[in-house]
Amino acid sequence: MDAETKQEIITLAKTIDAMDYYQILKVRKRAFTQDIKTAYFNQSRRFHPDKFYNEDPRLVEMVNKIFKRVCEAYKVLSDQDKRATYTKAISGDDGQKYIRYNPKLYARLAKADKPEDEGQTPMGKKYYQMAQTGIRNKDYKSAKINLQLAIKMEPSNQTFKERLAEVDELLKMRSKKV
Amino acid sequence: MGRVVGIDLGTSTSCVSYVEDGKPRVINGPDGDPIQSSVVSFLDDGQILVGNEAKKHIIHNPERTVYSSKRLIGRKFFSSEVKKAMAVSTYSIVEGPNQSVRIQIDDRQYSCPEISAMILMEMKKIAEEHLGDDVDQAVITVPANFNDGQRQATKDAGTIAGLNVLRIINEPTAAALAYGFGKGLQQKVAVYDLGGGTFDISILEIGDDVFEVISTAGDMYLGGDDFDDRLIDYMAERFMRDHDVDLRHDRSALQRLKDSAERAKIDLVENLETTISLPGITQVNGSPTDLELTVNRNYFGQMVHDLIQRTFKVCDEALQNAHLTVEDVDALILVGGPTNMPIVKEAVKSYFFKEPKDGIDPEEVVSLGAAIQASALVDSTAGALLLDVTPMSLGIETAGGLMDTLIERNTPIPTEQSRVFTTTRDGQTAVKIRIFQGEERFCKDNELLGEFRLTDIPAAPKGDAKIEVTFEIDANGIVNVTARDRETGKARSVQLNVSGGLSEEEIQALKERHSGEDEGVQTYKPELQLE
Repeated sequence: MDAETKQEIITLAKTIDAMDYYQILKVRKRAFTQDIKTAYFNQSRRFHPDKFYNEDPRLVEMVNKIFKRVCEAYKVLSDQDKRATYTKAISGDDGQKYIRYNPKLYARLAKADKPEDEGQTPMGKKYYQMAQTGIRNKDYKSAKINLQLAIKMEPSNQTFKERLAEVDELLKMRSKKV
Repeated sequence: MGRVVGIDLGTSTSCVSYVEDGKPRVINGPDGDPIQSSVVSFLDDGQILVGNEAKKHIIHNPERTVYSSKRLIGRKFFSSEVKKAMAVSTYSIVEGPNQSVRIQIDDRQYSCPEISAMILMEMKKIAEEHLGDDVDQAVITVPANFNDGQRQATKDAGTIAGLNVLRIINEPTAAALAYGFGKGLQQKVAVYDLGGGTFDISILEIGDDVFEVISTAGDMYLGGDDFDDRLIDYMAERFMRDHDVDLRHDRSALQRLKDSAERAKIDLVENLETTISLPGITQVNGSPTDLELTVNRNYFGQMVHDLIQRTFKVCDEALQNAHLTVEDVDALILVGGPTNMPIVKEAVKSYFFKEPKDGIDPEEVVSLGAAIQASALVDSTAGALLLDVTPMSLGIETAGGLMDTLIERNTPIPTEQSRVFTTTRDGQTAVKIRIFQGEERFCKDNELLGEFRLTDIPAAPKGDAKIEVTFEIDANGIVNVTARDRETGKARSVQLNVSGGLSEEEIQALKERHSGEDEGVQTYKPELQLE
């Protein structure tokens, strides 16, 4: 391996934490999907750990770190939905916080975009709140009844239905444990 | 340093290859056949036979001849697959420590990695005899849908066999590599891999020297063995109808049924009809009774129709995950002995609307690909680059038994994901985390990989300690867990307890036991018994 490549790896391993996925793959933000794949192949040819199998372990560790990040970048940018969310997130004021795609962080972001439907009718809202209290107190039986009542009030509410499915599973598990 | 080889360690057969002048070649066994049975037979005089030679003993030594043990490797004793194997196997499967599976031969117990190690040692020996040189490094293949435990167990088997396992790679990926190596292709290929015990489908994109797996899916419980089982059931039921005796309860009769089912299946590749004749298969009312019947190809096709259809459901899933349709697939590669069956071949052809690539031997291609990868690893200037994915999602158990997915399936490997854990009680000094693999919402429906404990946490009010845990899937598809204190950056100890696996000490003990036996497996005598 030439000294130039070695120096590049050492530098990249240090700076990669501050780079976004576009910088890591060396593609423009408006790149086509096919360009992203080509970039991924090119970066893989350069930084895949297999190319450094018998090198100094410290260098291999750096290459590992770089390549894992290359894969991560590709995984997100090659998925249309993830790419759109990611691009929006890193373009914001606190963009630096989002330069690594983290399912939990992004789930929160998605939730903020689309709030839970806590009920459109006064009775639906009330039953849902009572169900929430039931879930918090681990009283799943009463939670289930309240959710069923809430759904009766608002048959098309998705949040209610999802919650009911979760409660049903929890009840099933509980009965198995006994 | 010794030579490097690629080994296809299959459920029914194994094969070893090496690269010479940039071209991969298979190596013939002592009987001139490169395809060796994955069978180990323990003879009365203490001799242990491996390969095609061992298979000859399957009928008169059924209790001490181990076959299809790959179905058990890396599995827990209480899993449904082990129960199923116990019902039909002629050798004795018992429970070992840590919920592991052991195979009992006389008064000795063998772990599955140990049985696999014997097969690997035989392949190593075959290669050494051909090359006239030591072989100490290998790439070993596994089904794409093998989980962490099964990969780890296979790697352990290599270590026990005295091999430095350069890499564990997926069988369909290896096949694609053998197909596209050095051809400068720009293609999307589908690898339909129906082995003895497992089915895999992988969709790859080849860009010159880069082989990218786009998606992979599989059925762990579907293989050529199941086709044999259908024939066995058919024969046994016919016999039961005539004589009111169930041959499946008689170990030696069952072994003969198994053997003739396999022969009949192979016979039906060339012929439209086959006759099964088993004179004196059992005693009925004190007198020896024969089993004789004819099966034609069409009827056999009906018997296994649903098995073939099951593979297409898996293909649908893989294509969907790759966001592709069959029209996008440029080339179709068939892998595994069972794809030689005309009924399978025809069905796959009509599913993909295309002819499979010819000139590819479905039983050798995986081992050839493994050899290419092995030589690419030792000489990084040459060869191809594999970009593989993890076949299953990796997650941890959270409140209510829900699975919190950290790494989704079909994520390119190596990969890692970190998560911060904290204490939930004042003064808590340890945190226990359970890791799972699978796609189900609840952990109980997924495969438990193991459990690890973060220990030596300084006693503090709850929520004070912040421990960052990193889950890594390496290029072998094997999971590693590391932890560090978020504040100080200091590494934290992680105790990982892989269920069903061997400990480091056990592996080393077994390795030492096997080393220094240059004369090979045939004279190998066990001295130490595992607890």
